[in-house]
Amino acid sequence: AVPGVLGIQTCLRVAGAAAARPECFLSVQDGLAADFRAMTKTLFDLNKGSNIVRGGPLKELVIENFDEEQIWQQLELQNNAVLDFFKKSIAADADDEDLCLLSDQEEDGSDAETSSDKEFEDNIMEAETEQMNVYTKDKDKTKAKEKQSKLKNKSLMQKYSDEDSDIDFDIEALEQQAKTAKETTLRKKGRKSVVDDKFFKLAEMETFLEHAEKEDKEEEEEDDINYFEDIISDDEEDSEEAKVRISPIKSSRDMTYKDFYDSVDDDDDGDDDLVANDAEGDQEEEADSAIEEQNEESMSEFEDMDEMVEHMRSKEASKKVTFSLPDDSETEHVTKVPLEKGINPSEIKSSFEKRQEKMSKKIKGLEEALLEEKPWQLKGEVTGQKRPENSLLEETVLFDHAVRMAPVITEETTFQLEDIIKQRILDEAWDDVVPKEKPKEEAFEYKKRISLDHEKSKLSLAEIYEQEYMKLHQQKTEEEENPEHKEIQEMMDSLFQKLDALCNFHFTPKPPVPEVKIVSNLPAISMEEVAPVAVSDAALLAPEEIMKKNKAGDVKTDAEKTPTDKKRELRRKKLRKRMRQREKEKRQKLLEKMKPEQGTKLSKKAAAAKLKRLTKEGKASLLKDEGKDKALKSSQAFFSQLQDQVRMQIKDASKLKKKQKKEKAISVHKLKL
Amino acid sequence: RRGARGTRGAGEATAGGSPPCPASRPAVCRLRQVGKGELRKIPVPANRYTPLKENWMKIFTPIVEHLQLQIRFNLKTRNVEIKTCQETKDLSALTKAADFVKAFILGFQVEDALALIRLDDLFLESFEVTDVKPLKGDHLSRAIGRIAGKGGKTKFTIENVTRTRIVLADAKIHILGSFQNIKMARTAICNLILGNPPSKVYGNIRAVASRAAERF
Repeated sequence: AVPGVLGIQTCLRVAGAAAARPECFLSVQDGLAADFRAMTKTLFDLNKGSNIVRGGPLKELVIENFDEEQIWQQLELQNNAVLDFFKKSIAADADDEDLCLLSDQEEDGSDAETSSDKEFEDNIMEAETEQMNVYTKDKDKTKAKEKQSKLKNKSLMQKYSDEDSDIDFDIEALEQQAKTAKETTLRKKGRKSVVDDKFFKLAEMETFLEHAEKEDKEEEEEDDINYFEDIISDDEEDSEEAKVRISPIKSSRDMTYKDFYDSVDDDDDGDDDLVANDAEGDQEEEADSAIEEQNEESMSEFEDMDEMVEHMRSKEASKKVTFSLPDDSETEHVTKVPLEKGINPSEIKSSFEKRQEKMSKKIKGLEEALLEEKPWQLKGEVTGQKRPENSLLEETVLFDHAVRMAPVITEETTFQLEDIIKQRILDEAWDDVVPKEKPKEEAFEYKKRISLDHEKSKLSLAEIYEQEYMKLHQQKTEEEENPEHKEIQEMMDSLFQKLDALCNFHFTPKPPVPEVKIVSNLPAISMEEVAPVAVSDAALLAPEEIMKKNKAGDVKTDAEKTPTDKKRELRRKKLRKRMRQREKEKRQKLLEKMKPEQGTKLSKKAAAAKLKRLTKEGKASLLKDEGKDKALKSSQAFFSQLQDQVRMQIKDASKLKKKQKKEKAISVHKLKL
Repeated sequence: RRGARGTRGAGEATAGGSPPCPASRPAVCRLRQVGKGELRKIPVPANRYTPLKENWMKIFTPIVEHLQLQIRFNLKTRNVEIKTCQETKDLSALTKAADFVKAFILGFQVEDALALIRLDDLFLESFEVTDVKPLKGDHLSRAIGRIAGKGGKTKFTIENVTRTRIVLADAKIHILGSFQNIKMARTAICNLILGNPPSKVYGNIRAVASRAAERF
């Protein structure tokens, strides 16, 4: 025992050291791998040492120069032997009536200890097993044992891949749960018919048929959408459930005889356990497949290990013909309840009863749903307040778009546009705006269009409208004169003329033939020239067409003018004069304001007017030229006379002033000067 | 078909299939609706009496021949009476005939009034000078003179440009023509009443008429 303990302690040390630095496992660790291999060998040899477990052809685990595959195969050989031993011991223990299925953990633990020689390993994995036992609700020790064995393998796996550790753990929990769920399924243990065999059980067949029927039913029902069902969104589905629901698909290569048929040693009583094992095995397979899927990207080294583990488990698994029963999955989904303690035979229901139950349940469910308040989607017109926030975003709403949708600009559309543009450039087909020209109409043209007729119209109203109507619905039947008719007419005319001339004594002149004379309104010189000269349209027009005719009409002499015309002309004249006068006055006023001296000087009239005014008022007097006064004859004389006059006046004034000073008392009024 | 010149009395019932009134009933039974036919009466003022006499042939011929109606002039009441008979095909003929006679009575020429029978969409509008602007005495006379123009020049100009017929009877104005044209003529006349000089009015109606002509 001592070397065993020593070996285990070393193993423990190594494992602990490795576990302490998990980050190393991110890369390939050759040294650690060698250590682990050595550890495996020691453990294997330890097992070999104890004589409790018999079997196994190998005496020791050879690791030198062996690759993983070979080591695994050696382990497998050992494991097969060990498993056989376990099964025998389990069978023996199950038969043991002293042992109860609902035994405590201690019993399990003790059993485990007694049955296996892996007590040493138990110490190592004590923590893990304890955790496992916490989950185990059923006290089947085989399960525990298998768990432990699995654990051992798993722990190796765990050490090698940190990535998977979390996932593995979840799966462990899952499996436990699944197991508990499975335990609740009732198996028809009671019914044993005459037909039963090692391979065939009538009860099982019946159950299978029932489930098949149900499946058919379900398939039909699946077509209709159950409106009252809560739609499970993608988020709700846990990865766990997904894993659980993965159907256990085992590749045909891996299947062996044991998958289909029981081993020969089986008893009926052990069926239950094994059935339970089957269930567990299924679950384990599921879990394994799940693990496999997830570990696809894991390191290649560990793929072999996975296979080994799975292989082991498959061997542990079902030894009987089983049918995949959907019922189980349903129930396990619905009931994650701890197992029912006992299955009473009296409660076994017939298929009809079961069907009825299901039906009634469904009916109940439907009724409840009908009575309940309808979801907002089915309530007709729903405003924003009546439905949860942002609930429309999750709905796919259909409505008609009355407006043409804006074009989605994608790369392709831009490419198309660019192609069009390039083509247009090559073709030089520009979309230039053509400048619009306002049609400038001459006044005459305009007037020509609607001439004012001042006379009473010769056509009656009816005829006017008739003409209009005909114009609108004109059917051009231009009867062109037959040239022959023309000829005939001309000949006849000439003949009659001659006859008339002969018949009549009085001269009858020829009837006027409308001559078509081309009048070119050009000066003679241009006509004579041989070289063509550019002719403007203006020359070809009548003078009235060039220039507007005078409003007065034709020019008339005084004799031709009517009194109205005369009066009109007079009025015009007066008006013109008036205007001129007004302008002049305005100018004058302006000038006076700006430069007053110039104003009076410049205009003779203004001066005369002023003079007149002054003379009227009496401030000035006009000197009449009678020839007597010499002074008026020349300006010199006049001014000299004026000067003398002024001098005299000044003298007088100064004298007066002196006198006035003396005679102040005498007022002017009194003197009346 | 009867083109009777008004020689019948009032109480006489025209042929139409009405039974003779029994002696017990009053002698004068003026029935509006004689048999199946409808009756229209158009009064004739004294000044139009002679023109009616002169143009009687021209009036009753189209009514009787084209419209298949019966017409007579009631001397006593001085009404022109038009009546439908069995030969009448179109019920609107009676209205047309009545309008035609009315137009003539107002003062239009027979040929012009005839257009009412021939065309569907001709109308007759009447209004007074005082409707446009309350004028009195000399102003009124001047307004009328402006409308008429010298020798009727202005009136004729308006008639020619707008393709209507205008009757200017003292202070009353009657216009005959299609709807748009009546509108144009009315606008021109109203402008004249309000005091615009004829030259300006000419310019306006010319512009409007050219626009209208362009459209069609």
